[in-house]
Parts: sequence; structure tokens; C-alpha cells
Amino acid sequence: MSKYILELKNITKTFPGVKALDNVNFQLKSGEIHALMGENGAGKSTFIKVITGVHQPDQGEIFLKGKKVNIKDPNDSKKLGIAAIYQHATSYPHLSVTENIFMGHEKIDIKTKRILWEDMHQSAEKFLKELGAEFDPKRRMSTLSVAQQQIVEIAKAISTNAEIIIMDEPTASLTKTESEDLYRITEKLQEIGTSIIFISHRFEDMYRLAGRVTVFRDSKYIGTWGVNEVSNQDLIKAMVGREITQMFPSKNAEISEEIFRVEKLSRKGYFKDISFTLHSGEILAITGLVGAGRTELCQSLFGIERYDSGKLYFEGNEVEIKEVQAAMKLGIGYLPEDRQEQGLILDWELDKNISLTSLDKISQYSFIDRKKEKSMAKRLAELVNVKARSIFNLAKELSGGNQQKIVVAKLLTSDLKVIILDEPTKGVDVGAKSAIFKIMADLAAQGYAIIMVSSEMPEVLGMGDRILVMRNGEITKEMAVEEASQEKILAAAMQEKI
Amino acid sequence: MVNNSNNGITLNREIKSEKEFSLKKFFFQWEWLLFLIFIAIHIINSQLSPYYLNTYTLLDATMTFLDKAFIALSMTFVIIFGDIDISVGSTIALASVIMAVLYNAGLPMPLAILVCLLVGVIAGFINGILIVKFKELSAVIVTLSTMILYRGIAYIILENQASGGFPMWFNFLGWGYIKTIIPFILVAFIIAAVIFYVLLHKTTFGRKVYAIGNNDVASLFSGVKVDKIKIIVFTLNGLMAAIAALFLTSKMGSTRPNIASGYELDVIAMVVLGGVSTSGGKGRMIGVLLSIFIIGFLRYGLGLVNVPDQVILIVIGILLIFSVMLSNLKLFSNKS
Amino acid sequence: MSEKSSKNKISLERIQQIREFSLIGFIIVLSIFVQFRNSNFLTMSNIDDLLTNTAILSILAVGMMMVIITRGIDLSIGATLALSGMVTSMTVSNYPSLHPLVALLIGIFIGLISGAIIGLLVAKFNILPIIATLGMMNVFRGITFLISGGKWVSAYQMSDSFKAISTGSILGINNLILIAIIIYLVFYYFINYTRTGRKIYAVGSSPESAKISGINVDRITWLVYSIMGGLAGLSGVLWVSKFASAQSNTASGYEMNVIAACVIGGVSIAGGEGKVTGLISGVLLYGILENALPMINVSPFWQNAIQGAVILIAVLVSALIKRRIGSSNKIRRED
Repeated sequence: MSKYILELKNITKTFPGVKALDNVNFQLKSGEIHALMGENGAGKSTFIKVITGVHQPDQGEIFLKGKKVNIKDPNDSKKLGIAAIYQHATSYPHLSVTENIFMGHEKIDIKTKRILWEDMHQSAEKFLKELGAEFDPKRRMSTLSVAQQQIVEIAKAISTNAEIIIMDEPTASLTKTESEDLYRITEKLQEIGTSIIFISHRFEDMYRLAGRVTVFRDSKYIGTWGVNEVSNQDLIKAMVGREITQMFPSKNAEISEEIFRVEKLSRKGYFKDISFTLHSGEILAITGLVGAGRTELCQSLFGIERYDSGKLYFEGNEVEIKEVQAAMKLGIGYLPEDRQEQGLILDWELDKNISLTSLDKISQYSFIDRKKEKSMAKRLAELVNVKARSIFNLAKELSGGNQQKIVVAKLLTSDLKVIILDEPTKGVDVGAKSAIFKIMADLAAQGYAIIMVSSEMPEVLGMGDRILVMRNGEITKEMAVEEASQEKILAAAMQEKI
Repeated sequence: MVNNSNNGITLNREIKSEKEFSLKKFFFQWEWLLFLIFIAIHIINSQLSPYYLNTYTLLDATMTFLDKAFIALSMTFVIIFGDIDISVGSTIALASVIMAVLYNAGLPMPLAILVCLLVGVIAGFINGILIVKFKELSAVIVTLSTMILYRGIAYIILENQASGGFPMWFNFLGWGYIKTIIPFILVAFIIAAVIFYVLLHKTTFGRKVYAIGNNDVASLFSGVKVDKIKIIVFTLNGLMAAIAALFLTSKMGSTRPNIASGYELDVIAMVVLGGVSTSGGKGRMIGVLLSIFIIGFLRYGLGLVNVPDQVILIVIGILLIFSVMLSNLKLFSNKS
Repeated sequence: MSEKSSKNKISLERIQQIREFSLIGFIIVLSIFVQFRNSNFLTMSNIDDLLTNTAILSILAVGMMMVIITRGIDLSIGATLALSGMVTSMTVSNYPSLHPLVALLIGIFIGLISGAIIGLLVAKFNILPIIATLGMMNVFRGITFLISGGKWVSAYQMSDSFKAISTGSILGINNLILIAIIIYLVFYYFINYTRTGRKIYAVGSSPESAKISGINVDRITWLVYSIMGGLAGLSGVLWVSKFASAQSNTASGYEMNVIAACVIGGVSIAGGEGKVTGLISGVLLYGILENALPMINVSPFWQNAIQGAVILIAVLVSALIKRRIGSSNKIRRED
């Protein structure tokens, strides 16, 4: 018997125009947790889909327990004991938890082929209990939190008796405590002999769980190391292909007069009595656990959802923001959390994307001046340093980081004073992250006031001038960055207001 | 501004802002295919009937199909949203019936016409407001309900009778000529088509319609008044249905509650054949115009040689399916 | 099963239940009202009448529900029904000795083929259901016209045994009602207790997930349209036998009634949602409206508008109920 439970040799997969995997090798030891890292677009997701049979490789071989296998479709991989938990939940929102767990391999009466619902509910409950979850398996999937849905996905994997479980960025949208739960579950799986491939952007995931780590870059296999024998810097270098010595740029913005003041802002069920001030040149970081009401607060400040009560002062004058246009008129811009869904029109060219927020600037009597539009797009695209050939590239052709830069460029079309950035680096790879931080620092230096919502501790500490911590819709702590620390923030994010 | 040697980004690179002309891209457009079909239909028609290819026939032919074409102009906007409005046939009936009844009750015809337009506007506005306020319902369901409702109201008003007897001048809409050979409806349609073309392709309004059709959430976040624009478009669609009602009623000389039944399907077929994707965000006015004339002349030509209408339906059905099949092949760049 | 669901969370079942109960409540109130105005309403013979008249609608609604669950829609069923009705009735008029069962099979077969073609267009050629069925609706209507030459097949051309398909009864229950009940039992089992049946929901709830977890989405899509076609074909025979006449414009626009019954019955046009039990109440409400309005002397010209208003109200109310549940069931989570 081979030393490796799963071995992939020289896998190549091309899509029209793109080489998604280029001669990639990978070895998974039986019973290990193996971290797979790499920037977005490095080929990790395609790699998983090759293992699970969603895609077929053009070249290369897959060995399972030393035997060569041919995985033609997802059903084959299921039969071979491979299960995957994908980055974007692959659940059925309308169906019950039980059904989500057993879809495709329902328990049936051998003779009549009748589905045995009671049996299924019972074993679903058993699986959930084993994973430490306490919700009713009859509940509708769409009523669960992201973390709970992930547990259902894991239960699904267990229910197929999978020997190999692949997790694709499972912690990406989890809070700290939820991540801890997930770590425990993953370790439990390892204890019962499951081999796990764990994909993540977070170093803490890797250190906490994995024994070995493999890095992909630009569709190629770079190397595999024992987690204890490789440094953070080496890994970043392996992933990015260059060294990033300094993640956060030095800030030289001058924090001057107050520009925006929020007093006792409340929206029922989302946030309560929020008060803070914002100065020009300042970066105000708002952090807290996912679900603390940060995004909802930002969306109310930008007029997408109306607040119920409270007062807003802009440059000293009381203002009301009841719709997006009102916020934009004041000079407030918002970079949404989900750039693909909320920030961009993926099928559109860059120029049209950039001009959408400021159509009145490039039009006269509502007639669009294409010349003006193109030159504005060119100027701004170059300003934020987008890697694109022309402004007629489609937004969907760009990488995540460059898409984010386009969203920033959209903001810069209008005369802004306050910029709200909601998780600006979410799902952005290391290289693009530092580029975005640089842009932020530059904007602050030019006098913009910036609100940055982030769950990433280093980024809050590295970029913020002041830090607000939210918990359950309320601000539990405000502190200057000098007096802040990871521990203090975490304490404020998780405990009751003192 | 961004110039950081630390992270390996060195110089701001030049980003091109001039379009490169691609012959392949130019010719692989849906509209070319439609144009070929358009030519083919004229060739076939002229083979079928020796009387077909002359100016009078061709101009006159437009009178037979242009009434519903007015709705196709605004329906294009609706379908670019990714929505659909199947209540237009019923809106025609309601607007036309109310106009006829009011006229026969003594209201002067110009006022009756105004009421007709107003009914269309209100019917469209109701659709729009319901679709916007109840986002969880699709436009299919909302307009399906109002389709039954609007025609139902027309039946309540006129029961199963006909109403007509309009003044002579009203006939001009459907039957009149300008300079003795150009049908008035054609002139009116061309004016409307130009207005809608400019509205869709040259104005910020049109741009926002495309934006909403592609991604309504991103549009909202970009400051587009999504709800307002949707209501305007559905209201416009109701108005165009009322205008179609005027021409149709004039052409028929009288109206009944079952007038224009099934029109919605004809109109949708015109728009979709024109390359407007029902999944939203794509399509151009030129394509819709070509397709209006393709379907219209096809109908007319086959009618000339006494092919029954039901058989023409088969041809249109197959044409519709084949056109979508072809456009699914992704050969055609079908961008705004 | 232990009752563990936390009190403030409302489960999948509850949402459906509230909708179904309010619908049933409305049906009861409506029935009492009608009964008050016309005491003939709740008599055996009228109920029998009502159910007989609703049977065909209800059979079509089952198929439509499955189509809508997969996020589709089928506008062609009226045309399919007419085609199947025309072909069988013409066959029967030429071979009067034909066993009625054979006529039924012919009808189902024609419907199946029609549905399979549509399924192929939707599943394999990725044509949007509304377009594919719109196009095929035209084609089927045209074919019906062509084969009939625009003529009707009338009562005297049909054999008694053929007409007896819909007029006959077993144990005092009309055949149409019996057929509808059998169809409902079969499909209730199919949808709830077979793997294929559940896959229909999976495909509608999330086609991407279904694909990734190895469900053959194309096959399921093709299947639901074929079933829909088969049921429409069956309905064609029943329709022609019941009304003893086949025309090329038979059941024109009937697809809208069927879709409306589904929507009232809680089938979500967005896909993934819909239950047989809900569907029954939707179909019943539709049937009662059609039957009761003439009985309380509502002019037939009012019926259209009332139906439209009821559909609209049903749809809006169910949306509002869902909203209420949604907001009371809010969970902490950023989307």
C-alpha cells in the first residue's frame, strides 16, 4: 500500500484561453491535514474540481491508495470516498438540513426504493450532534447562519463516509469563535482517520491545523513544506513570487477638522445608538465579529437602508440621508463588501463600470458624451493602477484585486469627502492587498476621510488611526490605534459593554 | 500616485482608450444575421407573389403589423431588465374599450383618446409599482395577474359586445396616408423608433436600464434609482400599449373586450428575435427593429399567397427558437 | 423525532402550513358565503360537478408545479393539449371501434413527444423555458390546424366508448375525478419519496449545487418537461372526450389558468418551492371560483376580473406572509 492516500501527478487543465493548472503535483498522506495555499487565481479551485470530477484533467494521473483512478464525474469521486466543501456554499436553500445532507444518497428502502425520511432525520441529527451542532435537521437551510451551513456541509461529507475531505476556504466568512469550532471539528475528523485538504488564505488556519503545506502560484506547483520548517515570509514569497517586506504603507496624512458626525443612530434589529466622529485625513476602522451590524451601519450611512432614528452632521450641518443619491450628493462614497455582486457589472467594459456612479458628469441634457466618458475612465484606471490592456476589457476578465481597484476608481469619479470601505481586502490576494492599502493611505493623505470596515485584525491595527469595535449592533469600545491591541479588540468584540 | 517599488508595482502602465477595429467582431453581430433573414424573406416573398416587390405593396404591408410594433419598442426596455410584461394585450383591450364606451357616452373623441392613453399609463404604473414593491414576485406573475384582471375589467365594461362608430378622422390613424402613399402609422412608428433608439443608446436613462438589467444590486449601490426607473419603464410600456390600442382600434373600426388577445406573445417574439436576451442586460434597438419588419413582412408575404395564419405561427415559432439557439452558440457579440 | 426546534425560529414546515391554512380558511369562508347565497352549492351533485370540471386543471397543475420548481415555465401546454386531443379524436372518428384505453395512450404518447422536444430545447440547447415554450406553442397550434385542416371533430364523430372516458364512473365517482386522484397519489409519492423526485427540488433550489454534487441537471429538466407534456397529452384526450369536440383552438390560453392555480397553491415562480398539498388547495380555490360565481348570479363577464383579482391578492398576501415570517425569523448574519 502506498504511503499516500491521494496522489496527483503532472495534472494539466486548460480552459479556452487559460491554463488553469500547469503540470501540477500533489501528495496527501493518509490521516494528515494538508494546507493548500496560493493567491486567488493560482489554480486551487480548479485543482479541487479535478479531484472531485467536476472537471477532467487534460493530462496527468490520479492515484488513490496507490491505484490509478479515473474520476469522470462528481458521482465517481463520491464513490471513491472523496467529498468537498466548496468556498461558496453548495447547499439547497429551500430544502431541509436533512435533505441537504443526504441529497443524492438518500436512505431508501432496498426493495421499494422509497425514501425513509424518519431514518434520515435521525441520522442527520446524529451527525449534527457529533459535530457539536444543536439545530433541528428539519429546519430550512436558508434559515441557518453561514457557520451552521458549513457544519451541514461537513455532515454531508461524513454521511458519504468520505475518507478524503477537501475544504475550500471554509473560514473565509466565519467569525473567530466559529472558526475555533471549525478547527475542533476538523481535528475530530482527523482523529477518526479522515485525510483533509484545507485551503485557506489565513496563516492562522494553517498553523492551527496543518502538518504540511503546499503552495500553488500562477497555475503551477511551487512546493510542499512541513508547517514547522517554513517561515511566514518564505510562504508569502512562494505565493507571490516576490518578497513583500512591508504590507502596510507608512501614513503621512494630516488629520484635521471634523467632517462627519453620527449621533445616536439606530436601526431596529441591526444597530443601536451609534455615535462617532470622523475627520478629514483620518482612517476610522470599524471592526467586530461578522454579524455585529457593521455592514448594516455603513449601508444606512450610504442611504441604501434607512435608519430609524439619530442625527447626522456633515461639515457641521445636520443632514438626512434617506437614499443613495443624497449620500452621494454630500460626498459620501461606499465600496461594498461584495465587489462582484454589489460593486461591479461584470459583463461590462471598465469604462462603463467606472462612469456609472457619475453619469451626470459625462452627459449633457442626459445625453452621454462617449469621449468624455472614455477619457475619464482612462484617467482613473491609470490612477488606481489597474492591470488591464484597455478600458474596453470586461470587468470579469480582471483578477479580484484589480476588480477592487476598479470599484475604487468608480468612487473617485465623484467629488467625495468621505469614503466608506466595507471589507476592502476580502478575498483579495496578498499582492493586491498591499496595493489597496497604499491607495487608502494616499487617499487619506489627500484629505479624504475614510471609514474602513474590516474583520482582519492586522489590517485594522495596521491601517486605522482610530478603532471602533462593534458587538451586537452597538459600539463597545473606541480607541486610538496606539492604545489598541489584538487582545483588547477581541475582548471588546466578544464581551458585553462594560 | 501609486508608485511603490516595495510591492513590485513600478510604473503606472498606459491603458488604451481607443477601440481596435475587429472585422470578425464587426461581422459576427446578431444584426447581420437578422439583416440576411430580412433580405431572404423579401426574396422568398417576391418569388411567391409577383405583386409583392413594389413600393405600394411594401409600404401598405407595414399597416398590417406596425400597431403591435409600438409596444415592442418599450418592451425592449422591459426585457433588458430581465423582466417581462405579458399584460400588454389586456392593456390594449382595457384602454380601447374604455375609450370606445366613453366616446359613445358622449365624450368628445380627443378627450376619449386622452383617457385611452391615461388608462395605459395607469395600467403600466400599477404593474411597475407592484413589481417594485414586491420584489419577491417576478414580473411574470404580477403581469400574469394584471393580464387577467385588465381584460376582465374590459369584459365587465363592454360584456360581449362591440363598440365603435368613431368619427371619420379617427380612421386616419390606422388607414391614413401622408403624401398619398406613405401610411401614417409608418411615419408615426419611425418617429417613435428614433425616440426609443436615442433613449436606449444615447442617454443616461438607457445606460441605467442596461445597468439594472445586468446587476440591479450593483446599480443601486452605484446610485441608480432602480425602483424609479423600473416604474417609469413599465409605465412607458403601458403608454405604448395604449398607443397601439389607438392604431388597432382605428384599423378595426370598432373594439371588443377580446381585442388584441395573444398580442403579448407576438410582441415578446419580436423583441427576443431581435436579440434581446430574456435573461437581461443585452440587446440593441436595431435588432428589434429588424425583427419587427422580418416578422411583419413574413406574415404579410405568406398571407398574400393564402397561407393560413396558423401555419405562419409555425414559421414564427421555429424562427424564434432557431434564433435563440444560434445566439446561444456565443458566436455573436451582442453587446450594447 | 424530538421536537427541538427553537421557539423563535419558524421552520420550513411552518411557513408552508401558515400559507396552506390561510388558503384553506379562505376556501371555507368562500364556500360558506356561496352556500348562504345559493343552497345548491354544497350538494353532492354540485360538488361532483365542481370536481369533474376541476379535474383536468388539477392534472395539468401537477406537471406545471414540477416545471416551475425547476425554475421553468411551460406556456405550450394548451397547444399540446389541443394537438393531442385533435389527433386522438381524429383517430377515434376513423376507427370508432378503438378501445378508449388505446386512445388515452395515443394522447399521452403525443404529449410525451411534445414535452420531450421542449425538454430537449431547454436542457440541451439552453433556451429559456419561456421562449422555448412560447415558440413551440405556436408550432403545436399550427400543426393542430394543419392536420385538422381547420375543421372540428364533433360529438357525432366520436364513439360512445370514447365519450364515456369522461362521462363514465366507477363506484359512483366520475372517471375524471378518479384519474386525477390516481395522478395525485402517484406524483405525491414520486415527488416526496423517490430520489428522482427530490432531485427536481435540488435542481430548482440551486442548479449550481446540483451540478457540483453530481446530479444530472439536464436529465431532470428534460424529465419534468416530458412529464408535463405527457400530462398535457392525457388532458387533451380527457378534454376532447368531456366536451365532445376537438378544435384547433381548444384550450387556448388555458396555460395561464394552470400557472395561476400553481401560484395560488404556493408554488414559487423563483423555483425550489411547492408542495402537492398546497397545490390541491390552489386548484380547489380556482375550481370553486369557476363553479360558484355563476351560482351566485355573478355575470359571466365579471368572472375574468374576479379571477385576476383573486390571483393578484393571493400572490400579494403570500408574499406578505413570507415577509413577516422572514423578519421574525431574522438571523444574525451578513449576506
